[in-house]
Amino acid sequence: MAFQMYMVAFNGGFSQDASRSVQHHIRKLNGFTLMVMKTGIIAAFDDGLVLAVQAHPSVKLVGGVTLSPHGYAADRLQRIFAENLSKQLEVRGE
Amino acid sequence: MPNVGAELASVPFGKMIYDMASAIARSQIALDKASIELVKVLANTTFDYVPDVVETLMPNPRPVKGVMDSQGNQLMVTGVLVQTDVGTAFPLTLLQAGVNPTFYAFTNSTIEVKMSISSTQESSNTFSAGVSVTASADFLFASGSVSSHVNFSASNKYSYSVTGSSSMSTTLAPVPPPKNMMPRFFLVNAIDPAKVTVSQS
Repeated sequence: MAFQMYMVAFNGGFSQDASRSVQHHIRKLNGFTLMVMKTGIIAAFDDGLVLAVQAHPSVKLVGGVTLSPHGYAADRLQRIFAENLSKQLEVRGE
Repeated sequence: MPNVGAELASVPFGKMIYDMASAIARSQIALDKASIELVKVLANTTFDYVPDVVETLMPNPRPVKGVMDSQGNQLMVTGVLVQTDVGTAFPLTLLQAGVNPTFYAFTNSTIEVKMSISSTQESSNTFSAGVSVTASADFLFASGSVSSHVNFSASNKYSYSVTGSSSMSTTLAPVPPPKNMMPRFFLVNAIDPAKVTVSQS
């Protein structure tokens, strides 16, 4: 089992409550939210938990993603992910 | 006597391989469909991207109140003023930004069949024979008798057992996105329209 990066797409349109609920769900499963968008969340969690994340009623799709170094904003996304990850680690006291 | 070769020949290898290959093919299609669905989600997810922030350091000399230099003038210190110019944000999709979907492929599949055939045969025979002779004689009579017996028993024990187990294993590995499933990006430079850059993740 290993941590991987996933795109967790929302079911239907964006709602703040649904987004927060999915983020809490991922956090309960010891995962981390790396970036939040209107259509979904980029998160990192154990690859054995894909079905558990998928089970949330507001989740439409969970798919693995990677960051291509050739992307237009890959380095900035990487920085954003790292910043958000460090904040969550701080809160958890790990 | 059972034939071990016939037992092995009766194992449906062909069907097992077909069933496994068929299951792998169905799984591969389902995985590819999920990844293509993810490509659509990534292509439709936009965020406002600020291409650049220009910070210009401007000289900002200022006097130090109440401090004079040797010539009696107000002492000036070099100050600096940071002028920030944030570039216009524009929408960028996650695909353009560099987030790629992961595609998976079955790389190695193994079918293992184990069979154990054991056959034992045990036979035993017992034989016993006996003869008894009795004779008697009296004043007027004489008599005699002869008796014999034969015992024979035979037993055969036969046991035969076949046990088998099969296991199938396959390896699923992430692979780079297939070229045909990823969109191409055309960058047209409006300043020089002849310059068109085509790229693909």
